[in-house]
Amino acid sequence: MGLDAENSPHFQERRAKGAIIVKDLPKLDLESYISNYNGFARSARLLHIATLSPYLAYEALHLAITEAHDRGRNVDLYQRLVALLAKIAPTDPLATLDKDWIERTQRELKAEGDKLEHELKSYKNNMIKESIRMGNEDLGHYYEACGDYGGAAKAYGRMREHCTSPKHLADMTLRLIYVTIAQQSWTAVSSQLIKLDLVQLKGEERAKVAAIQNACAGLTQLCTGNLAGAASSLIHTSPIFITMPPVAGITWQKDVMSAHDVAVYGGLCALATMDRAELQSKVLGNPDFRNFLELEPHIRRAITLFCKSKYSACLEVLEGYRSDYMLDLYLSKAVTAIYNKIRTKSVVQYFIPFSCVTLEEMASKFQVSGSSGNIEEELEQMISEGVLDARIDLVNRLLVSPLHDPRHSVHSDALSMAQKYEHTLHLRLTRLNLLQAGLTMSFDKSQGGGQQFGT
Amino acid sequence: MSKDLDFITFCSNVQARDFEKASRLEYQGLIRSHVRTLKDAKPNKFNAHANTPSDILEILDPSTSTIGYLFALLARIEAFGTNWSTPGHVPRDLRPGYPLWNKVIRFLETADPILLRYVGEQYRTLNMHVECIARTLGQPALAIAPLRAGMMRLDTTTGTFTSTHLQIIRLCVETRQYAAAVPILDNYIHSITPTLPANVTNMEYGCLANEHLTSGEYLQLRFGHSDLPLATTLGKVQEYYVLGAMAYIGIHDFKKARDFLEHVLVTPSNQGGTTGLFLEAYKKWVLVSLLVDGSATQTPRTMHPGSLKIVRSASKAYEAVADAFKAGDVKKLRSQIAAGHDTWAEDGNSGLVGQLEQGHYRLYISRLANTYSAIPVSKIVERLGGSTQDAVNYLNTLSKQGHLNAQTEDSGDAKVGVVLRFFPDSEGPLAKTEKQQEQALVAQTQRIQALAEQIRSADFRLGLTKEYVANTKREKEKAATTGDAMDTSWDDGVPEEDILGEG
Repeated sequence: MGLDAENSPHFQERRAKGAIIVKDLPKLDLESYISNYNGFARSARLLHIATLSPYLAYEALHLAITEAHDRGRNVDLYQRLVALLAKIAPTDPLATLDKDWIERTQRELKAEGDKLEHELKSYKNNMIKESIRMGNEDLGHYYEACGDYGGAAKAYGRMREHCTSPKHLADMTLRLIYVTIAQQSWTAVSSQLIKLDLVQLKGEERAKVAAIQNACAGLTQLCTGNLAGAASSLIHTSPIFITMPPVAGITWQKDVMSAHDVAVYGGLCALATMDRAELQSKVLGNPDFRNFLELEPHIRRAITLFCKSKYSACLEVLEGYRSDYMLDLYLSKAVTAIYNKIRTKSVVQYFIPFSCVTLEEMASKFQVSGSSGNIEEELEQMISEGVLDARIDLVNRLLVSPLHDPRHSVHSDALSMAQKYEHTLHLRLTRLNLLQAGLTMSFDKSQGGGQQFGT
Repeated sequence: MSKDLDFITFCSNVQARDFEKASRLEYQGLIRSHVRTLKDAKPNKFNAHANTPSDILEILDPSTSTIGYLFALLARIEAFGTNWSTPGHVPRDLRPGYPLWNKVIRFLETADPILLRYVGEQYRTLNMHVECIARTLGQPALAIAPLRAGMMRLDTTTGTFTSTHLQIIRLCVETRQYAAAVPILDNYIHSITPTLPANVTNMEYGCLANEHLTSGEYLQLRFGHSDLPLATTLGKVQEYYVLGAMAYIGIHDFKKARDFLEHVLVTPSNQGGTTGLFLEAYKKWVLVSLLVDGSATQTPRTMHPGSLKIVRSASKAYEAVADAFKAGDVKKLRSQIAAGHDTWAEDGNSGLVGQLEQGHYRLYISRLANTYSAIPVSKIVERLGGSTQDAVNYLNTLSKQGHLNAQTEDSGDAKVGVVLRFFPDSEGPLAKTEKQQEQALVAQTQRIQALAEQIRSADFRLGLTKEYVANTKREKEKAATTGDAMDTSWDDGVPEEDILGEG
């Protein structure tokens, strides 16, 4: 199946564009993986997997189309899924659009939308705050179901002035966070997260909201490239996130990101940005995060190996899961950067205690089987980027730690600084003199702009 | 005859460092009246016994009777008339190697620096004659050494901008005698068209005959050391720096050239005004800074942002080359250089642009030192092209010229061939010993201290300008009024406290 799919028009098109295709067979079992998710998270992840993986595309699309058709009301999504399937397996019975269903659903949706708008109008006429709030909320739910997240965000946003209790305010903000995550508009998510801070909540409610806040903030930071921020947000997520009941009508661990995701995202970001001592104390020694790590034992293993300086084993473990992470909705863009960071850090940490290592040794430690590229080139790049403090001896094939003579370098630094200072003083003096003599350049030619060159 | 003798005695009346008779201020008065009298003297008085043993120029000693000697020299030269147009017209006596020319040179080399301060106008005229003679003879280079010697006599720091500076640098660039300009160029300019109010120079402290003065305090516009009317001086100052930079470029000292060009770039600007030389300096600056460190050097902080924007938009071709250079892309660099061929030729920068390719290789190789401790030459050749032997020769030249702290050696392995081995900063042929470093630091400290002195002097002059005095006066008045206001409020507080105390 995988081979057929790989030669399908969809993947050929992607290849031509140079876009990512996950060719290797991932470790995950689609059924059990996707059963962790509900709502938009489910459909978006299925669509993402179908777009990237030739092996799982067929299965993922089948699941997604059946679901969209039988249980959903998102016509747009249905059409996109069918169009994708038509490009991968044109002969498949599901690859043709069910026009009747589309028409019927559209009609129903229109009727329902009109009804809701009408109701809201009458609430507004009656000026009952609570009714207006609920009317807007219903309208938001309705847009959500149609897949119009922008409309939903607008409807939820209109609730703000009609909220009467902190709980209402919190629910509204959480709803907004949910739809903005669905839209992947991360700046909006982070601004809503800040607003959530301002809502006054007490006790258990606050704890739940805090857990959601940490998880969503981590996700946002991951998607905006702030790996260090993501790590610190995610490792502080409270374990009640794993089992908590729906908040604001959203089952966060199913509708947005699962506890597995928290473990994987948090663990990888921490590996990429923290040093060994921090990893030990803040990640492995963190009782809250331990609950998450237990769900993903291989991440735990990778972190433990890194802390024990067994870098190649750590990289090996991570490499095994590369294709899984490529198929993750949010990780797929960041995974290469994260892996490179971890790798670079491993090389740097590995080299610290040595004054000299042979390139062969480095290659055997870090050259991951199957990856292209030469260890020399990689080291060269790291050195020129200033990450690794070392020199390469290509003659004896060694990586050498450079000789530092602090006394000498202090002297030469002082000298170059003094020279710079002297030059700056010269320039200032010239400027001072010119100013004093009233010599400035101006647009008026009679004021000194005149040139007499080489008379 | 006795009359002539009297005149000669009069000419030698004011002697160098003749301080015993009077205070410096009185000495100054003496010199001034002496100069006034000599100015009024008829030229034939000086020329009475020309070419005889009793010639005034034979009797007077230029190092002590500087003023009289200078007047006599001028009278003698001007007696020949000064309108020569062809080499044939230059009188024999004035030609290099002949007595009068030798006397001029002897004067410029030995004149008394303090007395010279009072005859700026005549000194400048003499310089003009020297240049004129050399040019008419078709050998402008002949004038460089005498002019330079005179400058050094007048002001050992040569740090006050005078018309002779421009004269010399023009001659040097014109005749490609770049090295000859270096002694002058290496001394930075610390004063430009300084003016001190007359009442300061008439006081004991500001007296021109004082030896402790910096040259900025005695070489002043009013005394004729510079003929530059204010309106055109900016152009001349900028021209000096641009030509100076060209001289440094001529001897391949790109760092100093860049520093020189930056002096033009910091010219104060009124609402982003620019000049042609400013633009030219910027263009050269872009190229030269590439050759110095291969990356974008920051423009000097005090550069006017408006002017920068204007010159930037006028030097797009240069920025394009700079981008290609920084990206390290030889092909792109070559095509950019070829594309801008006419622009370079038009701006007179072809030679400098031609250096870029060389500079690119040099930087590439010196950057290797940051990554490698040793690398086979064949590897370098692989990336840069050419033959191994050429590369080895090139590398050897680079390390000889001091661009590369490395050496080539034969690895003994036929497969590897010759290798280039880099040294850490503290070792190798270019490394300085601690003692050398210390000496360099001490010298640097001294230079900076001297510089601080110049700045103090510039500040002193600034403090004497009318604007500054007016401003200080205003500030003082302001302080006085605000002080009063505070006093009244304090007075108001006192009775209140009394009331409380009573209560």
